[in-house]
Amino acid sequence: MKELSEINLPEDVRYTKDHEWARKKGETFQIGITDFAQDQLGDIVFVELPEPGDRFESGEEFGTVESVKAVSELFMPMGGEVAAINEALEDAPELVNTAPHTEGWMLELKASDPSEYDQLMDRAAYLDMLKGLEE
Amino acid sequence: MAPLTTPLHSWHTQHGAHMALFGGYDMPLWYGSAKDEHLAVLTHAGIFDTSHMAAVLVDGPAAEDLLQFCFTNDLAACLGPDKAPLRPGRAVYGAFLTAEGHVLDDAIVFMLAAEAYLVVVNAGMGQRVAAHLDRHREQHDVQVHDLSGQFGKMDVQGPMAAHVMRDVLADPDAVFEAMPYFAFKGGIGGTMPACGHVRTRDGTPLLLSRTGYTGEFGFEIFTSADTIVGVWETIMAAGAHYGALPCGLAARDSLRAGAVLPLSHQDIGDWPFCNHPWPFALPYKFGTGDFSKTFLGDTALKTDRAPHTYPFIGENLRKVTPPAEVRDTTGRVIGDVLTCVTDMAIGWHEDRVLSIGSPDAPQGFTPGGLCCGFVRVANPLPLDSRLLLKDQRRGIDVRIVADIRPDRTARKPLPMMLQPKEA
Repeated sequence: MKELSEINLPEDVRYTKDHEWARKKGETFQIGITDFAQDQLGDIVFVELPEPGDRFESGEEFGTVESVKAVSELFMPMGGEVAAINEALEDAPELVNTAPHTEGWMLELKASDPSEYDQLMDRAAYLDMLKGLEE
Repeated sequence: MAPLTTPLHSWHTQHGAHMALFGGYDMPLWYGSAKDEHLAVLTHAGIFDTSHMAAVLVDGPAAEDLLQFCFTNDLAACLGPDKAPLRPGRAVYGAFLTAEGHVLDDAIVFMLAAEAYLVVVNAGMGQRVAAHLDRHREQHDVQVHDLSGQFGKMDVQGPMAAHVMRDVLADPDAVFEAMPYFAFKGGIGGTMPACGHVRTRDGTPLLLSRTGYTGEFGFEIFTSADTIVGVWETIMAAGAHYGALPCGLAARDSLRAGAVLPLSHQDIGDWPFCNHPWPFALPYKFGTGDFSKTFLGDTALKTDRAPHTYPFIGENLRKVTPPAEVRDTTGRVIGDVLTCVTDMAIGWHEDRVLSIGSPDAPQGFTPGGLCCGFVRVANPLPLDSRLLLKDQRRGIDVRIVADIRPDRTARKPLPMMLQPKEA
């Protein structure tokens, strides 16, 4: 298990209490799960993602990640329409373990309200929350 | 209540284990990767801390009578195809039942000597099983001692396990002679009866048993609580030469499910211990439905109303999460899911399941992993029945099977496992 100091938390994304992240990429937002989440889940062997065009509210379940032992839900950091999914995860779900904040991204979202991004936690706030979980 | 820990707890945390509560103990779930650990047991070896398990010593002139009444297997008729009596140096699997035929716990009974048996049960169950045996002791001359906390236990499982132990043991050739499946030698040490001597090269006494709970070739190793850390480190160091990995409970769970072995209090529990894939745990007379002895709970097993338990395999690695219901092809709910995990060492190849350990697997066969486990249904089902397992999120198609992971090595003769591996 990674120590908090070993968890990789980039500055250029925003975080949710459910351990997803969102990154602004031009007109869309890239969505994934955090290094903390993948470390807790262990080996990810399957990622179930929605179809492009599907619409979700903020906080709604949009898919699952499956480890050898368990199936866990994924929740939308922001509301909007799925613009694209990371098709590489179909053959290489382990990218979520090895590169959760980069190649292991899950989908791109056309946000219905881009200001929701500003309400997500920044790195410092998310790290504070993780420290609280440890206690 | 603070979680219990094994003597190896700080080793686990220092080696980056993900810890979780199991049976009241804070135990490693996995170290680096549960998948790699599962696969290591099929290809090399895996080393498990199983010191959370409990044991009860039953000794005295009436020890056999007490176990014959409380344990499901028939100690007078359990060894080999001829059903020979249990003898010192041999162990047998079974369960302790209530009068209702429900499972108090499953166990392996090791016969240490005439009138002395080591009864190994699950984590946290030592006191309950000891109390249960004590209650049925009546006036008979037999003592029951809960050994919880007095011993350490680790399992070395996988095709390289004998190579690892050869490097660890003093006089390995003598120890390995005549060591079939479910045989054991040595003892835990102290004043407890032993079956000859098994020692490490530094002289630490061990009880070494050809058992385990992965379905693969290997050993369970018992030693005293104050020597287990040293034995673990010695075996880990030897194992490193053979590709062995420390393994957590996640790999143990997926390995045992693929090997069609039940998890106590999950796949067996508060319902009659019958109509399941473990008839060898019951004292059936060969080829009949009759029992060769009477025992606590036996009449309750003759009911027509007990549910039926079957192993299943899915189409791919995707799982449901219990609580989940079992539906037949018409959509009718017929039961529930007991265990559902992914065995990452197996996959469909044409119309059959192969494992990475299958000798006839085609060159470059890389299994994608398959969902597997046990379902409990109201009425009997034929083999190959198609079912839908449904949790709150999804449904998956599975089929009833006789076996899950093929080509397991648990029963392979030990000398065969010491032959040099082909390049």
